[in-house]
Amino acid sequence: MLANDRRAVSGARSASGWLLVASLLAYGAVVATAPIDAVQGPIQKILYLHVPCAFAAYLGFAATALLGALYLWRGEASLDRAAAAAAEVGVVFCTLVLLTGPIWARGTWGRWWSWDPRLTVTLLLWFVYLAYLLLRGFTEGSERAARFAAVYGIVGLLAVPLNYFAIDLFGGRAIHPENLARGSLGAGMGLPFGLGVGTALLAFLHLWLRRVEVAELEAEAAAAAHARAEG
Amino acid sequence: MNVLLAVLWKDLLTEWRSRDRVVSMLLFSLLVVVVFHFALPDDAPETTRAVAPGLLWAAYVFAALLGMNRAFAIELENEALSGLALAPADRGWIFLGKALANWLLLLVVEAITAGAFALGFDLPLGPVALPLASVLALGSAGLAAMGTLFAAVAVRTSYREVMLPLLLVPVLVPVLLGAVRATAALLASGALPLGPLRLLAVTDAVFLIGSFVLFEFVLEE
Repeated sequence: MLANDRRAVSGARSASGWLLVASLLAYGAVVATAPIDAVQGPIQKILYLHVPCAFAAYLGFAATALLGALYLWRGEASLDRAAAAAAEVGVVFCTLVLLTGPIWARGTWGRWWSWDPRLTVTLLLWFVYLAYLLLRGFTEGSERAARFAAVYGIVGLLAVPLNYFAIDLFGGRAIHPENLARGSLGAGMGLPFGLGVGTALLAFLHLWLRRVEVAELEAEAAAAAHARAEG
Repeated sequence: MNVLLAVLWKDLLTEWRSRDRVVSMLLFSLLVVVVFHFALPDDAPETTRAVAPGLLWAAYVFAALLGMNRAFAIELENEALSGLALAPADRGWIFLGKALANWLLLLVVEAITAGAFALGFDLPLGPVALPLASVLALGSAGLAAMGTLFAAVAVRTSYREVMLPLLLVPVLVPVLLGAVRATAALLASGALPLGPLRLLAVTDAVFLIGSFVLFEFVLEE
């Protein structure tokens, strides 16, 4: 990546950081004052964290596969660094989804886990992208690691609809709430939910830009050290 | 096409001469059968029959993980893998040759293991042998396709024995679900259900086409 591009990343990173701070403040205030669910009680508010994090996680995994495919096509190392950064940040959000979900489920379903299709698919997705990161770690040579990771990221994304289709058919009873499919969230829930989605996507963008910036600096430092050793 | 046949012939011939992969996969899956015996209750044939299809496929996956790592590990000697990559043909055909050889070896091991299951757990597999063979063939096709692709990746990593299962198992769920459901239905009613077979066929097609294309980026000179 050129120094100019990196300065652009750096500018976008700091702009997204300030936006994120503003968005977090508004989100906190709106969620704190949102109406309390008559049946579930305050625990329902996990929705405003859980679902937005899931959107950010899915975005991260789609970006990993897409950037990986672009890397295989164009062969530019910066595309691979962007893909790896998206996977790392995606795993963080996916972990948040898998932590907040059971807390809500314990209070509402009465048990921490259920083999509902959506839970199973998300758990498998988490495994796929942890394997993706391990694969990068265990492969020597950045060019080879980039190729292998891109291939696995693409397969990981291909597996999502197949897994969902298969598990939906045979893999467990669906008990996950489907409010969005029904098109109704309930009075007073739209604003905190919408702000939550916006904040999570901003947080994803900000963390991803930060990670890309660090990876670019590392690559530049490695190239400089290499040049010094040569010259 | 010629490349496919050449790779397939080479793999089967080296396996025939050493027989090390088939024998070790087979011994391992028979050991797994013995372990499952201890896991199952003694006087509950209904329980055994209900969980047998899942256990059978678990044994197959273990055996496949063991055998497929070898398929590329032997190619690393004398840089044979780089030689394969230099063949003047689409690398997808090399992949198909390798995957086909893996598929055939898997089928041999699976058939014998199924026999051991039928004997050991008193399962009526004999009358449904033909439809069961088609389930094995379909299920193993997806397993061999993804397993061959990821074995070629795992063999180049520093932790190859662990990498293959970590890469393979999370994406193998549709194959396992379809195969286990089809096997369970066969055991219960003797008839092949359409739903799991359709799932297996779709998954096999996606996996085969995907790995045919992506294998290009896995091999290197």
